[in-house]
Amino acid sequence: MDQSRVRPGARPVTAARLLAMHRDGELVAGYRQVRHLLADATSEDIQRIGRLLARLDVEEVLQRHPDVPVVDVAITGHGTVAPLVTSLTAELARHGLLLRPYLSTFDGYVFDLADPASTLYAARPHLVLCVLDPMIVFDELSTPWTPSDVESVLARKLATLKQLVCTFEAASTGVLVLNTLPLPHRYAAQLVDHRSRARLGAVWREANTRLLSLAATHATTVVIDLDPILAEGVRGEDVRQSVYAKAHLSPELLAAYARPVGHLARNLTGRTDKCLVLDLDQTLWGGVLGEVGADGIEVGEGYRGEAFASFQRVVRQLGAQGVLLAAVSKNDPGPVRAVLTDHPRMALQDRDFVRVAANWRPKHENLAELAAALNLGLDSLVFVDDSAYECGLIRHELPDVTVVRVDDEPARHVEALLRDGWFDVRELTAEDARRAVMYREELDRKDFLTSFGSLAEYLRELGVRVELAAVEDADVARVSQLTLRTNQFNLTTERLQPADVRRRLADPAALTLAMRVGDRFGDNGLVGAVFAHRRGDALILDNFVLSCRVFSRGVETACLSALLGHARENGLRQVVGRYRPSLRNAVVKDFYPRYGFVLDGTDDAGTTFRHDLVDIVASPEHLTLTTSFPMSLEST
Amino acid sequence: MNTIDDFVTLVRDELGLPVTAENVGRSLDEIPGWDSVHLLWLTTTLEQATGNPVSLARALEARSLEQLYRTAVRP
Repeated sequence: MDQSRVRPGARPVTAARLLAMHRDGELVAGYRQVRHLLADATSEDIQRIGRLLARLDVEEVLQRHPDVPVVDVAITGHGTVAPLVTSLTAELARHGLLLRPYLSTFDGYVFDLADPASTLYAARPHLVLCVLDPMIVFDELSTPWTPSDVESVLARKLATLKQLVCTFEAASTGVLVLNTLPLPHRYAAQLVDHRSRARLGAVWREANTRLLSLAATHATTVVIDLDPILAEGVRGEDVRQSVYAKAHLSPELLAAYARPVGHLARNLTGRTDKCLVLDLDQTLWGGVLGEVGADGIEVGEGYRGEAFASFQRVVRQLGAQGVLLAAVSKNDPGPVRAVLTDHPRMALQDRDFVRVAANWRPKHENLAELAAALNLGLDSLVFVDDSAYECGLIRHELPDVTVVRVDDEPARHVEALLRDGWFDVRELTAEDARRAVMYREELDRKDFLTSFGSLAEYLRELGVRVELAAVEDADVARVSQLTLRTNQFNLTTERLQPADVRRRLADPAALTLAMRVGDRFGDNGLVGAVFAHRRGDALILDNFVLSCRVFSRGVETACLSALLGHARENGLRQVVGRYRPSLRNAVVKDFYPRYGFVLDGTDDAGTTFRHDLVDIVASPEHLTLTTSFPMSLEST
Repeated sequence: MNTIDDFVTLVRDELGLPVTAENVGRSLDEIPGWDSVHLLWLTTTLEQATGNPVSLARALEARSLEQLYRTAVRP
């Protein structure tokens, strides 16, 4: 059940405020507020507001708010897919994004995706949703039919889909989203013997398995498994809409499907959350520690204690996949530390958290400090608390933080946290598994820093090692992820999918370099990348990306110095760099001029700088740099 | 849902379509922004509002919002 429905007071405010904005014609002007108003909305309201938002003129919204990120989504499929537009409009609005939909013609998916010259490809969508429904199979059967007939049709469809996926991979720079096929009861029940019915189920699921496997072998394809949604009790079809309007998936199913797609769009635009910040009392364990003491809190034992323990295990599961965990609690620090280190039934322990802030200060101050210490934007935090007051405070003081309110039923905490895929990514990398360790090392570095008189002395002692080398196949996922996750030190904020990175690796004129950094505290791993290409006697720096974890250590200076030197040694005459401002990358506005580049020009796409390779900045003395450049580049 | 005015308000507030009591009888094709998908949603909503089943096949044949209203509320 949707928990927000039992939250008193939330719904009327959201719905009424948005409806008033619609009636007053203020939705365009107030588009930025929509995101915050939808934060607490029920699924029902999201649908309702989606219908109103879908009527807005995208270009008008953009004119009013030029920096709202637009996501171009093409929707195609077998049946009527238009109802998806409203759900998707609202889901993207929840993330502060603006949907520009491209709706294909009815049953047009094969034509759309098979022809690289189709209007779908011409629209250059970031995302292509190819909505598959069971009628792609049953529409092709004649009566009477057997499970073997279904199997043959499924085999043909899978072969077609596989071809479409391959064509897509070559023709588009976007991401293709497929989905598994629900098996409607009204077809399964047409087989009167259990043996045949079981066989139908088997061939059907084999086809779904093969569909899901397409994602493993095709980097540009995502397959959404509808089974977990159906298992929650969402009906697969509205039979009247299927029969009369060819809308073969129910509106509720399409709405549920739109949610992970919204998170995919969030991920593609570099907005995936990175840190889960948890309250403790009544959120991670039952009871108030200050009142009942460590022995009295509910965790691991008793009905409620079991529920809290299973929530903790889910949090730990997320932490093991690269989500940073932190705790912010109004408590004395001593007892909290004691529970986190010694309590025998806690699934989560001190070492699972990158930071535990137990004090009596307002929570928004703790959250802001946490974000600063981890060098993350506030929009990277997800805050979970059972207190309406604390949730309201964070919404008010730090509107960019995602707030998840849990209630007094701990068995529902897991559902509340996982209802949205705040931490959804396309693919995990080796860095993800080590992320918490690396952030903890980073906090150790900060403590180490405070023990030194000067930064220079600190840096010398830190023993920074930097390796700049050509990107290899095994690095592709991580390099793509860096362009997607990095918002601050990202000179042009050009987001690259794994396939885009591969395209660069295959281009003889392109130079794609990875930066790896380590120091006495440990390895930071692959934390930066340079994307460049040669044109005539110039090396063009398309982008320069560095993770915020390794700021202020001279890493960028060392790499730029090496890159300029490499260009000069190869007989090039100049290096050109570009800066394109975004909401978050002002920190690198002067990156190129700081290192001897001169201003070359400014246009809508940003500012261009040029270096004549005469006077090249030296690499900082406190670090050791090793480079391994590929052979000389071809010119385009 | 007692009157056609209630219905017009529903269409304006829920679908964001510029319909008034005066022009509710015009052809669906003449309503700016009209999409046949709206019919599906309106039919479901009318069923919920009135508590009576509406024939979707009939509703899909409606040529105006007024006709749809009469099909659903005053069959």
